[in-house]
Amino acid sequence: MKRIFAFLVMLMTVILLGTLMIPALAQDGDYPPGPEGAGEGGTIIDYYFGDDPSTFNPILASDSASLAVTGLFYPAIVGIDPVTGEPAPNLPGSVAESWEYDETSTILTVNLRQDLFWNDGTPITAADYVYATSAVRSGVTSSPRTSMFETLDDGTPAGGKIVSIEAADDYTVVITFTEADCTAFNDINDVSLVPAHIFSELYGTDYALMDEDPRALPTVTFGQWKDLEFAPAERYSVIADQSYPDTLLGFVSPGEYVAQNVPDTNVAVERLLAGDLTYGVVPANRQAEFRGNSDFQVFEADANSYVYIGFNLADPTNPQNGVDENGELIDQGLHPIFGDPAVRIALTHGIDIDGIVAGVLQGNGTRINTHTYPLNWVQAELEPRLFDPALASQLLEEAGWVDDDDDTATPRVCQGCLYATEVDAAFEGSPMSFTLITNAGNTIREQIGEVADQQWADIGVEVDFQAIDFGVVLEQTGAQTFDSYILGWGLGLPVNPSADGIFNVESDIVNDGFNSYSYYNEEYEELIDAGSTVAGCDVEERRAIYERIQTIFYEQQPVIFLYSGKTMAVAQNWVQGWNPVQWAAAHDNDAWVITPD
Amino acid sequence: MTKFIIRRLVQAIPTFFGITLLSYMIMLASPSDPVALMTNDPSFSQQEKAAMAARMGINDPWPLQYFRWLVGDDWLRWDSDGDGISDRSFLIALDANGDGVAEPPGDRRGILRGDFGKSFSFREDSLKLIGQFLPATLELNVIVLIVSLALGIPIGILAAVWRGGAFDNGSRIIAVIGDAIPVFWLGIILIIVFGSGGQWLDILPMGGRCGVTRGDCPPVYLRLEYLVLPTLVLALGGVAGYSRYMRAAMLETISSDYVRTARAKGLTTQAVWFKHGFRNAMIPLATFLGPTITGLLGGSAITETIFSWPGVGRLLVRATTSLDYPLVMAGVVVGAVLTIIGYLLSDILYAVFDPRIRF
Repeated sequence: MKRIFAFLVMLMTVILLGTLMIPALAQDGDYPPGPEGAGEGGTIIDYYFGDDPSTFNPILASDSASLAVTGLFYPAIVGIDPVTGEPAPNLPGSVAESWEYDETSTILTVNLRQDLFWNDGTPITAADYVYATSAVRSGVTSSPRTSMFETLDDGTPAGGKIVSIEAADDYTVVITFTEADCTAFNDINDVSLVPAHIFSELYGTDYALMDEDPRALPTVTFGQWKDLEFAPAERYSVIADQSYPDTLLGFVSPGEYVAQNVPDTNVAVERLLAGDLTYGVVPANRQAEFRGNSDFQVFEADANSYVYIGFNLADPTNPQNGVDENGELIDQGLHPIFGDPAVRIALTHGIDIDGIVAGVLQGNGTRINTHTYPLNWVQAELEPRLFDPALASQLLEEAGWVDDDDDTATPRVCQGCLYATEVDAAFEGSPMSFTLITNAGNTIREQIGEVADQQWADIGVEVDFQAIDFGVVLEQTGAQTFDSYILGWGLGLPVNPSADGIFNVESDIVNDGFNSYSYYNEEYEELIDAGSTVAGCDVEERRAIYERIQTIFYEQQPVIFLYSGKTMAVAQNWVQGWNPVQWAAAHDNDAWVITPD
Repeated sequence: MTKFIIRRLVQAIPTFFGITLLSYMIMLASPSDPVALMTNDPSFSQQEKAAMAARMGINDPWPLQYFRWLVGDDWLRWDSDGDGISDRSFLIALDANGDGVAEPPGDRRGILRGDFGKSFSFREDSLKLIGQFLPATLELNVIVLIVSLALGIPIGILAAVWRGGAFDNGSRIIAVIGDAIPVFWLGIILIIVFGSGGQWLDILPMGGRCGVTRGDCPPVYLRLEYLVLPTLVLALGGVAGYSRYMRAAMLETISSDYVRTARAKGLTTQAVWFKHGFRNAMIPLATFLGPTITGLLGGSAITETIFSWPGVGRLLVRATTSLDYPLVMAGVVVGAVLTIIGYLLSDILYAVFDPRIRF
């Protein structure tokens, strides 16, 4: 009996000891310090927390993880300046040497650099861009970029402005548009160049074959990095490509770049703090831990995105597209509360946006008054609508929403509000009550919802705030049956200051468009076209047009623009040579030297 | 026994179809739309979204979608003249998205012919994807099961033997704690303590399954340090459960008539506890050992997420939240088959362990 007891106790002891000893025996050493030189500057260990890339083929890529990887290997035709965020010629790693529009702004000629080669020694030419765009235009791939073209190969209308893309010679691409298009770079940069000699060999013109193996590893590439190794849900790794001509130092310093998949952002932050990761982007709720932390180099910038409260301006019980098949406007009806711009402005004064930025975001954001990023080249001077509950109450009274019992605990009621006056007199006496939704799990948006709920209640507005599944939020906003919601937009580069695709009437499509607010303004619709058809695409003229658009949005307040968040990128202080800029914090990682203590 | 197994396998067929049908209906009942989730970006045009929906086949009525998933669509829309363009269809429209052009011929063979469909998100065969993630899940969960049983059973036996003593009370407290601590909290605490706890405690990797750099993924016995923390988190609950179960089973067995008879016959305490008590207490354990073993494949999504472990649990949770129908259903099929096998295994084990049971 005793021997068996002893055996059981020993068994448990051995297992426990083994569990503790294994790590001590198996510890890895720190990184060896790397001498500065080609490929000897150490290893960059970055992280990503979302999905794995779904494809390594830039023609098929649409998700951010795929685009991040394909961006390492396949150049865009026109470079985006990492400082200004605008297209610029002759940038390192980009292909365009110059470009010009013809006098009608319908033909864009892009001249390519002649000193660039794929890493197998083949020159990068116009044929590489034409092959990639031909694959997209075929319509037989899962590429999400077909809408840049007027029609697909088979004649199907695709809704875009590009009529043709041709190679005039090896280093000249000529793009023809149906009409003047000064925002063309948003489209043409969506398709990267691919090594046509390799892709032709693999797929020929049977482009549908690309979808047979979307995660086929790239073989011939262009950029600081090459030889992708991919371990699903674990990491991807690339090594230095010394054939890249545009390095900052004359060579690629780090030997390897690894992006580890760390699905929990809190764990990622802990790993950064522990020195387990070299570099990373820090989520807003943990940024304070890095400010003033001497172990890190910190770079903060305003994010190219914004968060807003969207209102349904139309009748939610009868959702309609903005226009019919002939382009004629369809009557949208009126939302009983948000159909009145005065109410929307009053609600803007009723919520403390500066307080949200200071409190909920802990200062990690910049208040915005309109739809583009604060440092954008288009920036109308607009006075912020400050938090002023008294003014908000007064504006609501003037709009016919009256506190009939002098008790803010009960909602205001309609007494001569716009809906009762213009649509349904029976609405008179109805309470000012609506639903506000956002996606559950986004703690910042959830907190904003709580703030809105409380502050609007203080001025006699009853809000039913609900944090629900993101898919359900999209379903409700798409169906246009919602009252209001909190969501955000990422803007992409170059920023399209017209907000075409979000506020224009043609995007007001039930279950299929992003103008879920059913916003319509005749002047705005005209300005969208005016901005993209300016003769010669004169910047100053376009700026004036887009600033007018910003002013219209400010005056009509179709949504409450809240803030643009701050991004924070951090690198361990033993990373040398890091010089981040606004739009690409890690743009110079080919010059980094990683020398941990 | 053979007859019993065959009978159970035959009974499993309608069970399997019932599970898949129910799961498919529940999945499609979600008000969300996978295309909306994947195209929440103004750069996607209406035509592109329609084309995507047509490719995925999600606009068809649910019975048709289920039918297609089951038996494929290569016979629902096909190219009869060999020009690569669909010209015949059955039950579904040639031009599903209404753009005036016939959709490509059906190319799915359905799960009954081994085609689980391509994942919407990952664009790869769903079953192949699960297969890619399975080794990591097995690696972790087999070790967790071994540790749980190797610690839980002896603790339970000793707690029963020393009933009411310090060991029994101590193991009970530990069991309650083990059951009560949420894994997400314990996981992060362990990562902070052992991953960045200073010179003495900074001895374990903070996540992942292999080394950081390329090619650094040796056989599992050379990278056991990556398993320590996730195993600790997952095994804590297992040890707690098995030890309490084993204690109760032992005490119940010990108080039974045949044990009393064994004592009356003058057998040693050792023989009473271990020859009669332990062996008989193990019999009920067999009833849930089968499902437990097959449950190893299910993964542990929260632990896998915290420890960046590339397992099936994480994959399937992601598939569910993104409405990746083919991947979710592949997970359901794998789970259903394993559950059926698990219960069958359990019945067989019961018969093996308990001579009174005959089928």
